[in-house]
Amino acid sequence: MEFEPIDELERELRSGLQRQPAPPSLKRKIMERRRQQRALQHRRMVWFERLAASVVLAGVAGGAAFWQHVVEQRKGEEAKQQVFTALRVTNHALQVMNAQLEERNKNSR
Amino acid sequence: MAGDWQPDFEQLVDEHQSMVFSLALRMTGDRGLAEEIAQDTFLALDRNLGKIESPLHASFWLRRVAMSRSADALRRKRVRGMHMWVGLEENHGAQAEERDSPLAARMERLLATLPEAQRAALVLRYQEDLTPEEIAATLNAPLATVKSHLQRGLKLLRAKAVIHLKEYMRGV
Repeated sequence: MEFEPIDELERELRSGLQRQPAPPSLKRKIMERRRQQRALQHRRMVWFERLAASVVLAGVAGGAAFWQHVVEQRKGEEAKQQVFTALRVTNHALQVMNAQLEERNKNSR
Repeated sequence: MAGDWQPDFEQLVDEHQSMVFSLALRMTGDRGLAEEIAQDTFLALDRNLGKIESPLHASFWLRRVAMSRSADALRRKRVRGMHMWVGLEENHGAQAEERDSPLAARMERLLATLPEAQRAALVLRYQEDLTPEEIAATLNAPLATVKSHLQRGLKLLRAKAVIHLKEYMRGV
């Protein structure tokens, strides 16, 4: 029978390259590292939640302060407009009074 | 039903630890490094567990990540300037002889002398019994390249086996 090196080699490879058993401690180490990784993730998540809450609180406080400032500015603007209106009314009344006084002076001469 | 399959991490470790460890060991030739690669591979699986759709997908994913991490580890060793091939041959030889049959030890020794790409293709073909198409998908390489690596790897192994046999006969 003719020997076929490739076939023989392939057969040897198949039987020679069986899976090796993993070290007995491998699973324990994997599970331990997994537990550590999850604990770390949990800690990171807690810090992230705290950070996110702080950012939200700072945003709300900042927004409230800004809104307060806007409201006060608007009230100031309204008060200013009211003062201007009052001054315009007073000015108009004084002009009318002045005109009447001038008219009376003319008549008395 | 495949759609109802829920991955159980511990069960996946039980089922595939030998496969992942053997792939890493045959690629790196270093038991310590292989164990580290196997741990990293399973931790990566844990992070991606939600994406695993079936038991077949799990083995494909594990093979792919184990091979890719082994290649990364070999690259890092080369960058560090270690004499990988000498170390690999010595490690493989010594460990194989300690544990395995003479045939397995001989195969391990010869395989360790092959270039990385050919070794990867042959390990997946003969340890995992994958088809060239499955090897191409696992290594993310063109099918023609995988076939060429398989052919060249076998040719080289055959040449080395003949030399080995002649040396043995001379010794006897």
